[in-house]
Amino acid sequence: MIQVENLIKRYAGGEAVRGITFSVEKGEVVGFLGPNGAGKSTTMRMLTGYLPPTDGRIEVAGAKLPQESLLVRQRIGYMPENVPLYPEMRVEEFLEYRGRLKRVSRGDITHRVGLVLDQCGLTDVRKKIIGSLSKGFRQRVGLADALVHNPMLLILDEPTAGLDPHQIRSFRELIKELGKDRTILLSTHILSEVEMVCGRAIIINKGKIEASDTLANLEKRVQAGALQIEVKADPASAKEKLGKIAEVSVVAELNRAGDWISFEVTAAPGKDIRGEVDGLIKREQWPLREFRREKARLEDVFVELTQD
Amino acid sequence: MTRALWILWKREVGAILHSPIAWVLLTCMSLINGFSFSQCVAYLGQGVKEFTVMQIYFYIFHFWFLLIILVPILTMRLFSEEYKTGTIEMLLTAPVKDGDVILAKFFGVLFFYLLLWIPSLLGLAIFQLVTHQAVPVAWIPLGFSYLMVTLVGMLYLSIGLFASVLTRNQAVAAMISFTMIALLFFAGFLSYLVRDPGWREVLNYIFTLEQMRSFSAGLFDSRPVVFYLSGTAFFLILTRQVMTGRRLNG
Repeated sequence: MIQVENLIKRYAGGEAVRGITFSVEKGEVVGFLGPNGAGKSTTMRMLTGYLPPTDGRIEVAGAKLPQESLLVRQRIGYMPENVPLYPEMRVEEFLEYRGRLKRVSRGDITHRVGLVLDQCGLTDVRKKIIGSLSKGFRQRVGLADALVHNPMLLILDEPTAGLDPHQIRSFRELIKELGKDRTILLSTHILSEVEMVCGRAIIINKGKIEASDTLANLEKRVQAGALQIEVKADPASAKEKLGKIAEVSVVAELNRAGDWISFEVTAAPGKDIRGEVDGLIKREQWPLREFRREKARLEDVFVELTQD
Repeated sequence: MTRALWILWKREVGAILHSPIAWVLLTCMSLINGFSFSQCVAYLGQGVKEFTVMQIYFYIFHFWFLLIILVPILTMRLFSEEYKTGTIEMLLTAPVKDGDVILAKFFGVLFFYLLLWIPSLLGLAIFQLVTHQAVPVAWIPLGFSYLMVTLVGMLYLSIGLFASVLTRNQAVAAMISFTMIALLFFAGFLSYLVRDPGWREVLNYIFTLEQMRSFSAGLFDSRPVVFYLSGTAFFLILTRQVMTGRRLNG
């Protein structure tokens, strides 16, 4: 659905995108992840035909950019960052205008607008003036606009930015629902969003792709996660013994409650030390009341990949 | 007219008619038009004159002052606002050509501009009614006059549109177009001062006031028509170039 090779965007001030290559297959929901200013929006703008690339090859929805820009634009639905809309128009009127502009036929327009109003939960506000809507509703209007011509690919630039937690939740549900029958590329710097909605993430930093993989694989790339145990033992010797396990990198004492001490035991990247730690506890016959592994989260992957 | 152009044009006209500026302008135009028209009539009443009331109307200061002030106010928001609020991105990621967007804005604002001159015709209608058609309306000079109003308007509006695509600040856009239009308008007067016949020829070619005088007297000249149409095309093309350039720079 999207094929990008060696994409470069240079501005007078510098390079925003420095030779990125990636692809998105039909039916995927892919998260485009990166800190602010990483080049996410610039890349998305190039994918939608808004910005011409300095160099590189782009193919979106079966058409080449920038040569077949009109064709691409007709096949994709794009929701720009901050969702710019015409404030003086009414919701329904706006969607009709946008639908007609995106070549929905006169016969279909009422049906299509009704459908996306319903899909995006806008039916109750369809006669309202856009300028009077709350941020959450405006965001929905933006999404309805992206959907109105029934595109095969949705490109959403930070679709949940600026929403309150309730709105974010319902918006994600909506995106999840939409992802069932179309391809979606969405950018965000909120990691939990990717974890909830996407099957794959592309992590971009300073105009370069740092990683592109399924979430499960990405998580494997960093430390397997720290082990937390709470035992009854002599603090100093327990710490020493834990530290002697071959693949343990750090042992940290977290807190004490009476005789109980809890430790955080961190393993070297990619190593599983659960067996060894369990063996030690049994050998030493320490009473044990907690044994828990923190799962590596996408956040750790993200921080590790995008730090300087 | 392509389908996209028609859809975009409707939205442009809608946006203009939904803005308070439009109605304030229409009111102010009617007021100033009425004032200037009554002055023309008062002048006619001073004795026998060889002009029709419309000839005077299109020649006096009020008319030109309005024209020069009016256009920057009409055009300043056309692109500036879209760039400032980011709606330009939404607009240009729809399957429409840049050229259609520019033409839609141009014809949309031209439509409203022409609407603004309707009160001046009302003045004439009242004049005819009150004087019991003492002098019949000279239709051909009247038609030429409004043709000239349209042609001059087209050039000025295209200059305003060009200024608007240069900046996201409406006030800056208005100042740029006001300056360009005023310079173009007043340059014509230099033909009174210049001795060199070649330069005088050139300056006469762009001397809007004199052209209007001959058109309102019913004398048609094709040179101004060519000048205003090609000038309009020039600024519309320039607008397109700037739009493309702005995208290259993100």
